[in-house]
Amino acid sequence: MKQKILMIEDDKFLRKIYRDKLTRAGFDFIEATNGEEGLNKVISESPDLVLLDLILPRKNGFDVLIEMKRNENTKKIPVIILSNLGQESDIKRGLELGAQDYLVKPEISLSEVVDKVKEWIIKK
Amino acid sequence: MPPQNPEKPKMSEVVSVVAHQLKNPLSVIKGYLEVLIGEELGKINAKQKEYLSDAFENVGRMSRIVNYLLDISRIEEGRYELKLEKVNLEKITSQVIKDFSFWVKASNCQILFKKPKKLPKVLVDPLKIRQVIENLISNAVKYKSVGLGKIEISIKKKDKNLTFACKDNGIGIPKEDFKKVFSKFYRSEKAIELDPSGSGLGLHINKAIVTLAGGKIWFRKNKDVGMTFYFTLPIAKT
Repeated sequence: MKQKILMIEDDKFLRKIYRDKLTRAGFDFIEATNGEEGLNKVISESPDLVLLDLILPRKNGFDVLIEMKRNENTKKIPVIILSNLGQESDIKRGLELGAQDYLVKPEISLSEVVDKVKEWIIKK
Repeated sequence: MPPQNPEKPKMSEVVSVVAHQLKNPLSVIKGYLEVLIGEELGKINAKQKEYLSDAFENVGRMSRIVNYLLDISRIEEGRYELKLEKVNLEKITSQVIKDFSFWVKASNCQILFKKPKKLPKVLVDPLKIRQVIENLISNAVKYKSVGLGKIEISIKKKDKNLTFACKDNGIGIPKEDFKKVFSKFYRSEKAIELDPSGSGLGLHINKAIVTLAGGKIWFRKNKDVGMTFYFTLPIAKT
Protein backbone atom coordinates (compact mmCIF):
# COMPACT_ATOMS: atom_id res chain seq x y z
CA MET A 1 0.00 0.00 0.00
CA LYS A 2 1.19 3.47 -0.85
CA GLN A 3 2.36 5.74 1.97
CA LYS A 4 0.17 8.79 2.45
CA ILE A 5 1.62 12.30 2.72
CA LEU A 6 -0.49 15.23 3.91
CA MET A 7 0.73 18.67 2.85
CA ILE A 8 -0.70 21.62 4.80
CA GLU A 9 0.15 24.63 2.63
CA ASP A 10 -1.88 27.64 1.54
CA ASP A 11 0.05 28.33 -1.70
CA LYS A 12 -1.72 26.45 -4.51
CA PHE A 13 1.35 26.38 -6.75
CA LEU A 14 3.51 24.85 -4.06
CA ARG A 15 0.83 22.24 -3.39
CA LYS A 16 0.70 21.46 -7.10
CA ILE A 17 4.43 21.02 -7.54
CA TYR A 18 4.75 18.82 -4.43
CA ARG A 19 1.63 16.85 -5.45
CA ASP A 20 3.26 16.08 -8.81
CA LYS A 21 6.68 15.36 -7.35
CA LEU A 22 5.54 13.14 -4.48
CA THR A 23 3.02 11.29 -6.65
CA ARG A 24 5.80 10.57 -9.15
CA ALA A 25 7.92 9.34 -6.24
CA GLY A 26 5.19 6.78 -5.45
CA PHE A 27 3.30 8.41 -2.57
CA ASP A 28 -0.38 9.10 -2.07
CA PHE A 29 -0.76 12.86 -1.73
CA ILE A 30 -3.49 14.65 0.19
CA GLU A 31 -3.62 18.34 0.92
CA ALA A 32 -5.10 21.04 3.11
CA THR A 33 -5.10 24.78 2.47
CA ASN A 34 -5.28 26.05 6.06
CA GLY A 35 -4.37 24.97 9.57
CA GLU A 36 -7.87 24.00 10.66
CA GLU A 37 -8.53 21.85 7.60
CA GLY A 38 -5.04 20.38 8.01
CA LEU A 39 -5.67 19.32 11.59
CA ASN A 40 -9.02 17.76 10.63
CA LYS A 41 -7.31 15.77 7.86
CA VAL A 42 -4.53 14.65 10.21
CA ILE A 43 -7.27 13.09 12.37
CA SER A 44 -9.54 11.76 9.61
CA GLU A 45 -6.90 10.55 7.13
CA SER A 46 -4.13 9.32 9.47
CA PRO A 47 -1.32 10.23 7.05
CA ASP A 48 2.09 8.57 7.30
CA LEU A 49 3.80 11.96 7.33
CA VAL A 50 2.80 15.65 7.40
CA LEU A 51 4.55 18.41 5.45
CA LEU A 52 3.61 21.53 7.39
CA ASP A 53 3.85 25.19 6.47
CA LEU A 54 3.87 27.65 9.38
CA ILE A 55 2.24 30.84 8.12
CA LEU A 56 -1.26 29.54 7.45
CA PRO A 57 -4.77 30.98 7.55
CA ARG A 58 -7.19 30.03 10.38
CA LYS A 59 -4.63 28.15 12.47
CA ASN A 60 -0.89 28.63 12.18
CA GLY A 61 1.50 25.72 11.78
CA PHE A 62 2.90 25.91 15.31
CA ASP A 63 -0.64 25.52 16.73
CA VAL A 64 -1.34 22.61 14.37
CA LEU A 65 1.83 20.94 15.63
CA ILE A 66 0.96 21.56 19.29
CA GLU A 67 -2.50 20.04 18.85
CA MET A 68 -1.15 17.07 16.89
CA LYS A 69 1.36 16.27 19.60
CA ARG A 70 -1.30 16.57 22.34
CA ASN A 71 -3.55 14.02 20.64
CA GLU A 72 -2.71 10.35 21.44
CA ASN A 73 -3.89 9.29 17.97
CA THR A 74 -1.75 11.75 16.01
CA LYS A 75 1.30 12.46 18.15
CA LYS A 76 3.45 9.75 16.53
CA ILE A 77 2.91 10.98 12.97
CA PRO A 78 6.21 12.48 11.74
CA VAL A 79 6.03 16.17 10.84
CA ILE A 80 8.43 18.00 8.54
CA ILE A 81 8.09 21.76 8.69
CA LEU A 82 8.55 23.42 5.30
CA SER A 83 8.54 27.14 5.92
CA ASN A 84 9.81 30.51 4.79
CA LEU A 85 10.68 31.34 8.39
CA GLY A 86 14.37 30.62 8.73
CA GLN A 87 15.30 32.40 11.95
CA GLU A 88 17.05 30.29 14.55
CA SER A 89 14.26 30.93 17.08
CA ASP A 90 11.60 29.60 14.65
CA ILE A 91 13.64 26.47 13.91
CA LYS A 92 14.27 25.88 17.62
CA ARG A 93 10.60 26.32 18.43
CA GLY A 94 9.46 23.96 15.65
CA LEU A 95 11.86 21.20 16.72
CA GLU A 96 11.09 21.67 20.42
CA LEU A 97 7.38 21.31 19.67
CA GLY A 98 8.13 17.90 18.19
CA ALA A 99 8.71 18.34 14.45
CA GLN A 100 11.13 15.75 13.07
CA ASP A 101 12.78 18.17 10.68
CA TYR A 102 12.68 21.84 9.71
CA LEU A 103 13.34 22.78 6.07
CA VAL A 104 13.56 26.35 4.81
CA LYS A 105 12.03 27.40 1.47
CA PRO A 106 13.29 28.24 -1.09
CA GLU A 107 16.80 27.05 -0.17
CA ILE A 108 15.76 23.41 -0.17
CA SER A 109 15.20 21.61 -3.49
CA LEU A 110 12.19 19.42 -4.30
CA SER A 111 14.41 16.34 -4.45
CA GLU A 112 15.88 17.09 -1.05
CA VAL A 113 12.38 17.34 0.42
CA VAL A 114 11.43 13.99 -1.13
CA ASP A 115 14.63 12.45 0.30
CA LYS A 116 13.71 13.78 3.75
CA VAL A 117 10.18 12.41 3.42
CA LYS A 118 11.57 8.97 2.53
CA GLU A 119 14.09 9.15 5.38
CA TRP A 120 11.44 9.90 8.02
CA ILE A 121 8.98 7.36 6.68
CA ILE A 122 11.65 4.64 6.98
CA LYS A 123 12.47 5.77 10.53
CA LYS A 124 8.81 5.74 11.51
CA MET B 1 1.68 69.21 4.57
CA PRO B 2 0.62 65.58 4.03
CA PRO B 3 -1.29 64.00 6.92
CA GLN B 4 0.88 62.04 9.31
CA ASN B 5 -0.05 58.41 9.67
CA PRO B 6 0.93 57.05 13.08
CA GLU B 7 0.37 53.49 11.77
CA LYS B 8 2.87 53.90 8.95
CA PRO B 9 5.15 50.87 9.05
CA LYS B 10 8.91 51.23 9.20
CA MET B 11 10.78 50.63 5.96
CA SER B 12 12.54 47.63 7.50
CA GLU B 13 9.14 46.08 8.27
CA VAL B 14 7.98 46.64 4.69
CA VAL B 15 11.16 45.06 3.36
CA SER B 16 10.73 42.10 5.68
CA VAL B 17 7.12 41.48 4.58
CA VAL B 18 7.91 41.88 0.88
CA ALA B 19 10.93 39.58 1.14
CA HIS B 20 8.81 36.92 2.86
CA GLN B 21 6.10 37.28 0.21
CA LEU B 22 8.69 36.68 -2.51
CA LYS B 23 9.86 33.40 -1.03
CA ASN B 24 6.88 31.27 -2.08
CA PRO B 25 6.88 32.36 -5.76
CA LEU B 26 10.64 31.77 -5.85
CA SER B 27 10.17 28.27 -4.41
CA VAL B 28 7.56 27.52 -7.05
CA ILE B 29 9.67 28.74 -9.99
CA LYS B 30 12.73 26.95 -8.65
CA GLY B 31 10.73 23.75 -8.26
CA TYR B 32 9.35 23.82 -11.81
CA LEU B 33 12.82 24.49 -13.24
CA GLU B 34 14.32 21.68 -11.17
CA VAL B 35 11.78 19.23 -12.61
CA LEU B 36 12.33 20.41 -16.20
CA ILE B 37 16.15 20.48 -16.00
CA GLY B 38 16.09 17.05 -14.37
CA GLU B 39 14.09 15.84 -17.42
CA GLU B 40 11.50 14.27 -15.14
CA LEU B 41 8.81 15.18 -17.66
CA GLY B 42 10.75 14.22 -20.79
CA LYS B 43 13.92 15.01 -22.72
CA ILE B 44 14.87 18.59 -23.52
CA ASN B 45 17.45 19.73 -26.02
CA ALA B 46 20.81 21.28 -25.13
CA LYS B 47 19.69 24.87 -25.79
CA GLN B 48 16.52 24.43 -23.75
CA LYS B 49 18.61 23.00 -20.92
CA GLU B 50 21.02 25.94 -21.14
CA TYR B 51 18.20 28.52 -20.94
CA LEU B 52 16.45 26.72 -18.11
CA SER B 53 19.74 26.39 -16.21
CA ASP B 54 20.33 30.12 -16.65
CA ALA B 55 16.85 30.78 -15.29
CA PHE B 56 17.57 28.43 -12.36
CA GLU B 57 20.80 30.28 -11.60
CA ASN B 58 18.96 33.59 -11.65
CA VAL B 59 16.27 32.33 -9.30
CA GLY B 60 19.14 31.41 -6.98
CA ARG B 61 20.43 34.98 -7.26
CA MET B 62 17.00 36.41 -6.46
CA SER B 63 16.74 34.07 -3.53
CA ARG B 64 20.07 35.27 -2.13
CA ILE B 65 19.00 38.91 -2.52
CA VAL B 66 15.74 38.19 -0.68
CA ASN B 67 17.72 36.57 2.14
CA TYR B 68 20.07 39.54 2.25
CA LEU B 69 17.11 41.93 2.50
CA LEU B 70 15.62 39.88 5.31
CA ASP B 71 18.98 39.89 7.11
CA ILE B 72 19.24 43.66 6.68
CA SER B 73 15.75 44.29 8.06
CA ARG B 74 16.48 42.05 11.05
CA ILE B 75 19.80 43.81 11.68
CA GLU B 76 18.05 47.19 11.61
CA GLU B 77 15.32 46.03 13.96
CA GLY B 78 17.83 44.40 16.32
CA ARG B 79 16.28 40.98 15.65
CA TYR B 80 19.24 39.33 13.95
CA GLU B 81 20.01 36.11 15.77
CA LEU B 82 23.13 33.98 15.97
CA LYS B 83 23.21 30.43 17.25
CA LEU B 84 26.56 30.43 19.02
CA GLU B 85 28.38 27.10 19.04
CA LYS B 86 31.94 25.89 19.34
CA VAL B 87 33.11 25.86 15.75
CA ASN B 88 36.18 24.54 13.93
CA LEU B 89 36.96 27.52 11.68
CA GLU B 90 39.62 25.69 9.68
CA LYS B 91 37.18 22.90 8.82
CA ILE B 92 34.50 25.33 7.61
CA THR B 93 37.08 27.25 5.56
CA SER B 94 38.35 24.05 3.93
CA GLN B 95 34.78 23.04 3.09
CA VAL B 96 34.03 26.41 1.44
CA ILE B 97 37.26 26.23 -0.58
CA LYS B 98 36.36 22.69 -1.68
CA ASP B 99 32.82 23.69 -2.64
CA PHE B 100 34.09 26.71 -4.58
CA SER B 101 36.98 24.87 -6.27
CA PHE B 102 35.30 24.33 -9.64
CA TRP B 103 34.10 27.94 -9.91
CA VAL B 104 37.45 29.31 -8.66
CA LYS B 105 39.37 27.38 -11.32
CA ALA B 106 36.89 28.35 -14.04
CA SER B 107 37.36 32.01 -13.02
CA ASN B 108 41.14 31.72 -13.54
CA CYS B 109 41.89 31.99 -9.84
CA GLN B 110 43.76 29.86 -7.34
CA ILE B 111 43.41 29.68 -3.58
CA LEU B 112 46.28 28.96 -1.26
CA PHE B 113 45.10 28.02 2.22
CA LYS B 114 47.91 28.26 4.72
CA LYS B 115 46.58 25.53 6.93
CA PRO B 116 47.25 26.21 10.56
CA LYS B 117 48.48 23.70 13.09
CA LYS B 118 45.76 22.56 15.41
CA LEU B 119 43.75 25.58 16.47
CA PRO B 120 41.19 26.04 19.23
CA LYS B 121 37.52 26.32 18.35
CA VAL B 122 35.75 29.66 18.16
CA LEU B 123 32.33 30.64 19.45
CA VAL B 124 30.13 31.58 16.49
CA ASP B 125 27.09 30.56 14.45
CA PRO B 126 28.48 27.96 11.99
CA LEU B 127 26.07 28.75 9.16
CA LYS B 128 26.50 32.50 9.46
CA ILE B 129 30.29 32.38 9.61
CA ARG B 130 30.26 30.11 6.57
CA GLN B 131 28.27 32.87 4.85
CA VAL B 132 30.97 35.42 5.81
CA ILE B 133 33.79 33.21 4.51
CA GLU B 134 31.90 32.48 1.29
CA ASN B 135 31.29 36.18 0.77
CA LEU B 136 34.94 37.17 1.32
CA ILE B 137 36.27 34.45 -0.99
CA SER B 138 33.68 35.08 -3.69
CA ASN B 139 34.47 38.83 -3.59
CA ALA B 140 38.16 37.99 -4.07
CA VAL B 141 37.27 35.83 -7.10
CA LYS B 142 34.69 38.18 -8.65
CA TYR B 143 36.86 41.28 -8.34
CA LYS B 144 40.10 39.85 -9.68
CA SER B 145 42.44 41.81 -11.96
CA VAL B 146 43.55 40.76 -15.40
CA GLY B 147 45.48 37.46 -15.35
CA LEU B 148 45.61 34.84 -12.66
CA GLY B 149 43.75 35.73 -9.46
CA LYS B 150 45.76 34.67 -6.41
CA ILE B 151 43.94 34.34 -3.12
CA GLU B 152 45.68 33.50 0.14
CA ILE B 153 43.68 32.40 3.15
CA SER B 154 45.17 32.10 6.62
CA ILE B 155 43.94 31.59 10.17
CA LYS B 156 46.12 32.50 13.13
CA LYS B 157 45.74 32.46 16.89
CA LYS B 158 46.44 35.68 18.73
CA ASP B 159 45.66 36.10 22.43
CA LYS B 160 42.03 35.12 22.98
CA ASN B 161 41.03 35.28 19.32
CA LEU B 162 41.52 33.61 15.98
CA THR B 163 42.22 35.93 13.06
CA PHE B 164 41.03 34.92 9.60
CA ALA B 165 42.63 36.70 6.61
CA CYS B 166 41.69 36.63 2.92
CA LYS B 167 44.34 38.29 0.74
CA ASP B 168 43.81 38.87 -2.97
CA ASN B 169 45.64 40.48 -5.89
CA GLY B 170 42.44 41.94 -7.32
CA ILE B 171 41.22 45.35 -8.40
CA GLY B 172 41.27 46.74 -4.86
CA ILE B 173 39.15 49.50 -3.37
CA PRO B 174 39.76 53.22 -4.04
CA LYS B 175 41.16 54.99 -0.96
CA GLU B 176 38.34 57.56 -0.98
CA ASP B 177 35.82 54.72 -0.52
CA PHE B 178 37.46 53.16 2.53
CA LYS B 179 34.95 54.63 4.98
CA LYS B 180 31.99 53.30 3.00
CA VAL B 181 33.12 49.70 2.51
CA PHE B 182 30.87 48.18 5.21
CA SER B 183 27.93 50.49 4.46
CA LYS B 184 24.72 49.11 3.06
CA PHE B 185 24.64 48.98 -0.78
CA TYR B 186 28.25 50.18 -1.14
CA ARG B 187 29.86 49.11 -4.40
CA SER B 188 32.93 50.64 -6.04
CA GLU B 189 32.61 51.75 -9.66
CA LYS B 190 35.02 49.04 -10.79
CA ALA B 191 33.06 46.41 -8.89
CA ILE B 192 29.84 47.46 -10.62
CA GLU B 193 31.59 47.18 -13.99
CA LEU B 194 32.90 43.69 -13.24
CA ASP B 195 29.70 42.33 -11.67
CA PRO B 196 26.62 44.50 -12.24
CA SER B 197 24.42 41.99 -10.40
CA GLY B 198 26.03 42.36 -6.94
CA SER B 199 23.82 43.72 -4.15
CA GLY B 200 26.36 45.65 -2.06
CA LEU B 201 24.97 44.01 1.07
CA GLY B 202 27.44 41.18 1.72
CA LEU B 203 30.10 43.12 3.63
CA HIS B 204 27.47 45.02 5.64
CA ILE B 205 25.97 41.70 6.78
CA ASN B 206 29.45 40.22 7.40
CA LYS B 207 30.14 43.07 9.80
CA ALA B 208 26.88 42.47 11.68
CA ILE B 209 27.60 38.73 12.00
CA VAL B 210 31.19 39.14 13.18
CA THR B 211 30.30 41.97 15.57
CA LEU B 212 27.38 40.03 17.08
CA ALA B 213 29.74 37.09 17.66
CA GLY B 214 32.06 39.42 19.59
CA GLY B 215 34.69 39.82 16.86
CA LYS B 216 35.97 42.54 14.56
CA ILE B 217 36.20 42.86 10.79
CA TRP B 218 38.45 45.19 8.83
CA PHE B 219 40.62 45.42 5.71
CA ARG B 220 43.95 46.73 4.51
CA LYS B 221 45.28 47.67 1.14
CA ASN B 222 48.17 45.36 0.25
CA LYS B 223 51.59 46.91 -0.38
CA ASP B 224 51.63 45.73 -3.99
CA VAL B 225 48.14 45.05 -5.33
CA GLY B 226 44.76 44.04 -4.00
CA MET B 227 43.23 43.97 -0.54
CA THR B 228 43.26 41.79 2.55
CA PHE B 229 40.10 41.36 4.61
CA TYR B 230 40.40 40.19 8.19
CA PHE B 231 38.04 39.14 10.93
CA THR B 232 38.58 37.94 14.45
CA LEU B 233 36.42 35.65 16.55
CA PRO B 234 36.72 34.86 20.25
CA ILE B 235 38.14 31.45 21.13
CA ALA B 236 35.55 29.23 22.82
CA LYS B 237 36.22 28.38 26.45
CA THR B 238 36.93 24.67 26.96
